[in-house]
Amino acid sequence: MTPLSKHFDPKILRKTVLDMAYAGSTVHIGCAFSIIELLAVLYRNHLRYPGNDPLAVDRDYFVLSKGHGVMAQYACLREMGWLKDEAFSAYFADGSDLKGLSDSRVSGLEVTSGSLGHGFSVGVGMAMGAKLRGTDQKTYALVGDGEINEGPIWEGALFASHHQLKNFMVIVDENGFQAMGSTEEVLKLGSIQAKFESFGFEALTLNGHDEAAIDGAITQLWASNSKSPKALIAQTVKGKGVPFMENNNIWHYTRLDSETYAQALAVVAGCVQ
Amino acid sequence: MRAAFSEALVRLAKADPTVLLLTGDHGYALFDDFRRECPAQYINAGIAEQNMVGMAAGLARSGFRPFVYGLAAFIPVRVVEQIKLDVAHDRLPVIFIGDGAGFVYSHLGTSHQSTEDIACTRAIPNLSVYSPADRFEVTACMEMAYHSKSPVYLRMGKSDRGDVHVAVAQASVGSLLQAKPGKSDDIAFIATGALVRTTLDIAADSYPDVSVWSAPFIKPLDNEQVTAICKQHRIIVVLEEHSVLGGLGSAIAEIASEFAPVRILRIGVNDRYSEHCGTYEYLLKEHGLDRLTIELRVHDFLTAN
Repeated sequence: MTPLSKHFDPKILRKTVLDMAYAGSTVHIGCAFSIIELLAVLYRNHLRYPGNDPLAVDRDYFVLSKGHGVMAQYACLREMGWLKDEAFSAYFADGSDLKGLSDSRVSGLEVTSGSLGHGFSVGVGMAMGAKLRGTDQKTYALVGDGEINEGPIWEGALFASHHQLKNFMVIVDENGFQAMGSTEEVLKLGSIQAKFESFGFEALTLNGHDEAAIDGAITQLWASNSKSPKALIAQTVKGKGVPFMENNNIWHYTRLDSETYAQALAVVAGCVQ
Repeated sequence: MRAAFSEALVRLAKADPTVLLLTGDHGYALFDDFRRECPAQYINAGIAEQNMVGMAAGLARSGFRPFVYGLAAFIPVRVVEQIKLDVAHDRLPVIFIGDGAGFVYSHLGTSHQSTEDIACTRAIPNLSVYSPADRFEVTACMEMAYHSKSPVYLRMGKSDRGDVHVAVAQASVGSLLQAKPGKSDDIAFIATGALVRTTLDIAADSYPDVSVWSAPFIKPLDNEQVTAICKQHRIIVVLEEHSVLGGLGSAIAEIASEFAPVRILRIGVNDRYSEHCGTYEYLLKEHGLDRLTIELRVHDFLTAN
């Protein structure tokens, strides 16, 4: 495995994903690659885990509602020191703990997701709980753009707005694809920002691979004086970082072979020190 | 029975400020006391059950004790996946109240009737299923659900059929409660919910020597107790206002088939929807769950066996 970076270097995170995807001969690589920079900025600069404890009662909550991107989160948990390298080399081996979709039994993962449209509501509940208890905890729910086809997202959006959950932020990974094709082909979403704004959210749209922009937008949204919940619409590229995977939805399903693994690694890890 | 439910909820909420009541815009008069006594612990989540259950999971994760209320047709049936994934998977202490189960909404038709909710919830790991028959059982079930600190589905059916016990039920989770003693080693009746009262009436008039057991817990179910009852009798009659597929009758038959094979007559809703509407009594008759039809079926079964 690559030496750990304390800085959640996206290149190292992508290499970790490639290594585990190859070790486990698993799919959903594109889903993980589109959220690498988002997770890097969140874990590096924003999420608070007192005592570096993934279960600290006063932690911020980060809910990966789009469980299909879980390999990106595993890569971050490795950097946090919560997952050991053996878990990655043994990915998908019989009896291993790390599953192909998010599972709350893994410390650091807040929900069991993969069936879509669940984590958003759980996150709204966590934010409501923090508000009721009067803590300053923040809750983030990361959803896919395909995922917001699901009705409960919009039920939860109504609730978050009605109850002025200003401690709640939804981050939409707008990579433009869902399982069977582009979001444009499958079920048009229109302006995601306008949709969340119409539900009473304070929303920003940005390039989801620009770490400085992500950091600035999160900071800006939290600094707002409004009582609105927040929405960050991150325009991303599915498969980002490996040219032959980018915007190619087959990498929702395709497994790496030795050749594609080597090619991908050369692009991603060639830049790793 | 509904008053007992409301009283138990208010008592628990006043004693524990982390108790929250979430409703999916239902329970208009039922929660008057709760809203007056514990206004800060009341959340109307709107007509949005899926989000409500997900939120309950989030609230439980952040230290709260949510009670999630809806009609049984919606809580749990509409939100089975949220219960499975968001709540039961991690044994979160969320209590689901499914009101109006069975044919309570007899005039409203299939959308508001619930005869598959036990079958839907029984197979979810970590989730207990309670089905109280009277005010005493409701009180006991509410206390036990709260103290279990694990997910529970509490099914409330027709609530005005009268008491089946004479005092507060002393129960341990999973046990059947004897509603009427009997010396007969020929038959025993086991019923749940609203049909316990009907069964008692039938037994009092036609089967004075037969014991009647109420099953306030469908899951877990005390294997040893059920086995003992099955061993002591030639025929067991199980009655429920729920599908005969996957409900109490199935649960009893599962235990009996493994530990004490016995003839079992399962009286419940056959694999069908309501055809017509009418009073509650009318609908029971349509489904063969009125007293007369039940007596005929029991008689025929006894004659044939």
